Amino acid sequence: MNKQSILYTVVFTFVVGFLFVLLLSLTHERTREMVERNQELSRRRALLSALDISYSSEAEVSEKYNTEIEPFERDQTQLYRYQSDSGTAVAKPFSGSGLWGTIRGYIAVSRDLDRIVGLEIVSQNETPGLGARIDEAWFKNQFRGEKIGQGGIRVGAGGEGDQDADNAEVDGVTGATRTSDSIETIINSEINKLENLLEAAQ
Amino acid sequence: MSQSSAGAVFKENIWTNNPIFIQVLGICSALAVTNLLSNTLIMTIGVVFVTGFSNLTVSLIKSLIPRKVRMMVQTLIIAFYVIIVDIVLRAYLPEISRNLGPYVGLIITNCIIMGRAEAFAQSNPPVISLWDGITSGLGYMGVLMVIAFFRELLGFGTLFGFQVLPETFVPWTIMVMAPSAFFFLGLIVWIGKSIMNRSGAAA
Repeated sequence: MNKQSILYTVVFTFVVGFLFVLLLSLTHERTREMVERNQELSRRRALLSALDISYSSEAEVSEKYNTEIEPFERDQTQLYRYQSDSGTAVAKPFSGSGLWGTIRGYIAVSRDLDRIVGLEIVSQNETPGLGARIDEAWFKNQFRGEKIGQGGIRVGAGGEGDQDADNAEVDGVTGATRTSDSIETIINSEINKLENLLEAAQ
Repeated sequence: MSQSSAGAVFKENIWTNNPIFIQVLGICSALAVTNLLSNTLIMTIGVVFVTGFSNLTVSLIKSLIPRKVRMMVQTLIIAFYVIIVDIVLRAYLPEISRNLGPYVGLIITNCIIMGRAEAFAQSNPPVISLWDGITSGLGYMGVLMVIAFFRELLGFGTLFGFQVLPETFVPWTIMVMAPSAFFFLGLIVWIGKSIMNRSGAAA
């Protein structure tokens, strides 16, 4: 058979393409449940961290997610309420554009919108080692209990982490100014949305 | 596979014809993912796996591939293995998959893989092709790990995330950014070439 003929080329390409895609689908199918479980677990974990609920094991994540958090909807926006000794906190999933792709996560604020309770990233595609450091603890911890100022919060120049919770300001990531700016934009727009959603109910 | 040719391929790919500092392939990833050792290690393990198996597969079916669609089929094979790596990371190592983000998918653009498929696997038997792919990947890994070692040490004061330099050490921000990899790459090419010239002169 002539291997350079058009017929052979077309048939060969088709068969090879079909075989490899079939193998991929099978692998995907076999691991799908695991991947989905991982995703759901990391989503729940993020929500718990944003609301400042501590957990130590996988089982505890599911348990606290089911018992402590109360999901509710307002104006077709999914929100989560958490009642603790220190007051009520409300978490909202967010997504916004970073430097390379969409940044998704949860932001939680106190019910009176006085302070941010926490910020947690679920997925991001920022530059590893630079922008991706927004997912590191030192960066996210800056938001814990941070005062919400007049125009929201400000993400400043790169630094080691801002320890002052009352100045409505956090340090950005050194070398990742554009990602830091995106975070500022995303958070302030989310605070704005939360204000509208929560104040309408008061 | 004879002993001598396996040894020759090894020496060639790790040293005398190293993909990074002699062939200057795969530079984009050498700049992008080398600021943390753990990310570099996982990514380069992925590259070793993909280069090895795409070489093996190309070599196995090389006599069946029509010349016109040769490169297309190679790309398909490489993409297949890259997606497998991505799926495995997602299912079994979700944390690392999160950290590496888009870089796993970008393994496919690594010129070393296509280069080895085209230059070696197309004209050699399967087992030695697999070996060639693995050693090429190792040669790449070696250089990247050296760069990552210095970048993480000087840029963060850590190695594999563990603090090794005292707290008083001021991290060099430039080391975290891509340009610093150029400096180290240049230094490595310089040092490597000097050693080669010296041993060449001695022999």
